[in-house]
Amino acid sequence: MSNVRDRIKPGAIKRRQVVDSIFKALFTAAGVLSALMIIIIFVFVGWKGVAPFLPVYGGEQQSIWSFISGMTWRPDQNPALYGVLFIVINTLISAFLAALVSFPVSVLTALFIVKIAPRPLRAFFTTVVEMLAAVPSVVYGVFASGQITKIVDTVAGWFGKTTFGGNSLLTVSILLAIMIFPTITVMSITSISAVDRNLELGSLALGASRTQTNFKVVLSAAKSGIFAGLVLGLGRAFGEATAVSMVAGNAMTGPTWNLFDITRTLTSTMLSGLKETTGLDYDIRFSVGIILMIIVLLTNLAIQYIKRKIGGVTND
Amino acid sequence: MANEEAKSVTDTDRTVDQLSSGGVMFRVQDLDLYYGNFQALKKINIEIPARKVTAFIGPSGCGKSTLLRCFNRMNDLIDDVRIEGKILLGDRDIKDANMDVVRLRTEVGMVFQSPNPFPMSIYDNVTYGLRCQGIKDKALLDEVVESSLKKAALWNEVKDDLGKNAVKLSGGQQQRLCIARAIALQPTVILMDEPTSALDPVATGKIEDLMETLKEDYTIIIVTHSMNQAARISDKTAFFYLGDLIEYGDTDRVFSKPADPRTEAYITGRFG
Repeated sequence: MSNVRDRIKPGAIKRRQVVDSIFKALFTAAGVLSALMIIIIFVFVGWKGVAPFLPVYGGEQQSIWSFISGMTWRPDQNPALYGVLFIVINTLISAFLAALVSFPVSVLTALFIVKIAPRPLRAFFTTVVEMLAAVPSVVYGVFASGQITKIVDTVAGWFGKTTFGGNSLLTVSILLAIMIFPTITVMSITSISAVDRNLELGSLALGASRTQTNFKVVLSAAKSGIFAGLVLGLGRAFGEATAVSMVAGNAMTGPTWNLFDITRTLTSTMLSGLKETTGLDYDIRFSVGIILMIIVLLTNLAIQYIKRKIGGVTND
Repeated sequence: MANEEAKSVTDTDRTVDQLSSGGVMFRVQDLDLYYGNFQALKKINIEIPARKVTAFIGPSGCGKSTLLRCFNRMNDLIDDVRIEGKILLGDRDIKDANMDVVRLRTEVGMVFQSPNPFPMSIYDNVTYGLRCQGIKDKALLDEVVESSLKKAALWNEVKDDLGKNAVKLSGGQQQRLCIARAIALQPTVILMDEPTSALDPVATGKIEDLMETLKEDYTIIIVTHSMNQAARISDKTAFFYLGDLIEYGDTDRVFSKPADPRTEAYITGRFG
């Protein structure tokens, strides 16, 4: 056996220390840079968004109360009316309708893919879902404005209703449901796959059926990842701008309760006409952005709370 | 003889002999088991006595865990397994395609190598099997939780916090919870697949003490890698080697006067 001790060279300590400190500096720089970017964005959006409600804004200063409680968005009027409350409600309705449809379908799909589908089909289905997650939102938007609108318009006809070319709350919700489906499904697949097989065996050995095992043990063990998927999905539903703007119809007042009526979401408000406007009408979009971030944050907190409640465990 | 005796045994009405100490619980006849082309068990014939502790010992890969999993049909879950021969529980061949496997598993409980409590409360863990059978009577469930945890010697440690997540218990407590979970279904048999191999000596001691009391009510079959454990707790010992049952008899006899040189070599630590 040849001697390896001879090849372990002494005296390289200095060089190793230098390399270590160079890399340490690189990692620190990367960390600081990304933290700085986030802070800069927050400060910029925060400042631009708050400014319209401060005296420094001059003659066009807005009342924070009428902004938060307003049910009309009329930049075309004089003076312009910027009330965001109905838009918040519209956003919540469309996102939650989407999640209501998409969440159970996604979780069941994930369960099917991981636990029920025959082995060769698993890889195929997983690939399809992952591809869906990678489709750019503008493609979904084109599909929605070209196809979903037609279907919604036809369905509306059955109920004796008319739509504005299919642009409606229902169209937005269907579009969002389709868009968040792969997000929630991929996360659910990952967390269901990670469930310890011993838990399943334990359940089966106690006389539980496959179905009981899947619903009572596998899903509750995969709870964290599934809810993380829901958080990401709702985040996407709240934050999706491009596709939603193509089919929302941008109602001037609201909230929109009728599924076949046009709606307006926070993102479609921020995006529509962004390029053609200046001054207050431009700055107020940052205020809408702040509201959007607050809603995403509150929703995440709410989901964390729900997650802890489900499963009947006192401390998680 | 066996048939006469076995015929009177039905699902609900077992003869006294069947359940009394020393009666035959399982009768395995000419059992061959194949994983694909690999034969893991060869012509196994063994009778497991009721209300005794039977230990299966042997080096890794000898087929002892495979045989254990035959008793509650857990091998069904592995693809490409083929089993020939008979495993009689009373007069029923549990290999029968018409066998109600769910029912069987409520009768033949199992405790696994590493503790596998479900990520839910202690209470929900213990009542899991019953709830899966559609039992919702709160008073009954409460009663079962208390009696099962008492039998598993865990009640005093957890009675004040049954809502606690079972995953937060210590390893030894988790394993006793898994025993309580199996006991809750009032099985006749408890299978234990190296139940203490993931535990420290103190927790192991508690589980071993527990088995001593459990055998008054249940038939216990334990797979173990510890010769000391088998000698301490079991009434009967079966030694397996390369898929064959080499030797089976009273534990005292097997450990003091092994009949086969391979048994002697294994229990004295010369191989395995």
